[in-house]
Amino acid sequence: MINVINRVVKAVRLEKELKRMFSKLGVVWLSVFMSLTFTAQAEDSSPRDASKIVGEVCVSCHGQDGNAMVMGAPKLGGQKADYLTKALMDYKTGIRNNAVMSAFSSTLSSAEMIAIGKYFESQTSTLTVPK
Amino acid sequence: MKYINKMMMSSIVLALSLALPAYGAGDPAAGAQLNAQCQGCHGIVGFKSAYPKVYSVPKIGGQNYDYLVIALKAYRDGERANETMHAIASNLSDQDINDLAAYYAKTE
Repeated sequence: MINVINRVVKAVRLEKELKRMFSKLGVVWLSVFMSLTFTAQAEDSSPRDASKIVGEVCVSCHGQDGNAMVMGAPKLGGQKADYLTKALMDYKTGIRNNAVMSAFSSTLSSAEMIAIGKYFESQTSTLTVPK
Repeated sequence: MKYINKMMMSSIVLALSLALPAYGAGDPAAGAQLNAQCQGCHGIVGFKSAYPKVYSVPKIGGQNYDYLVIALKAYRDGERANETMHAIASNLSDQDINDLAAYYAKTE
């Protein structure tokens, strides 16, 4: 009889312990979920204007219209938008390594990288597709 | 004053070294003989690569010479990850790269 009571008490304790653990886990998951949604919102709710970002950041090497005067920096004016966006994303994620570009791209949201790609593509270009 | 002069001299030297092309000269005519591998993708308007992801192949005609050299060497040496470009650039010598960069930088 005492054994049975002991078992019941243990089971109740175990149940309480498990409940406590799961409720803690729940809080953890909730906070992870919330932080993810909030970051996503912070990223996409207010993308800055592409021409403004270019004027503040990209301009010194690539020029406002993307026709770079710095020889080591590529011309971007008229370049394919999706290629440019991919390049920015590759710099941000570390697939492409360049200290300067990694630093700049790390401040950009996905929406901004897409906008910057489209901005440069729309500029007057000296780039060609030679045969 | 001496110190300031030294500072000025060194900054002038630095500015000059930055202004000069960082890479040896290439011969565009020689590059024109090497571009058979490039044309299949870079010679077609609006061409998209299918691997590893579908996206537009960049326009490279008229691109800056130094950048083209940097890009080809990075592909060749595996610093820039793209299987297709790595495979193609693996067979290129430094001089080949200079020649191709000169060809594409010049082409209009």
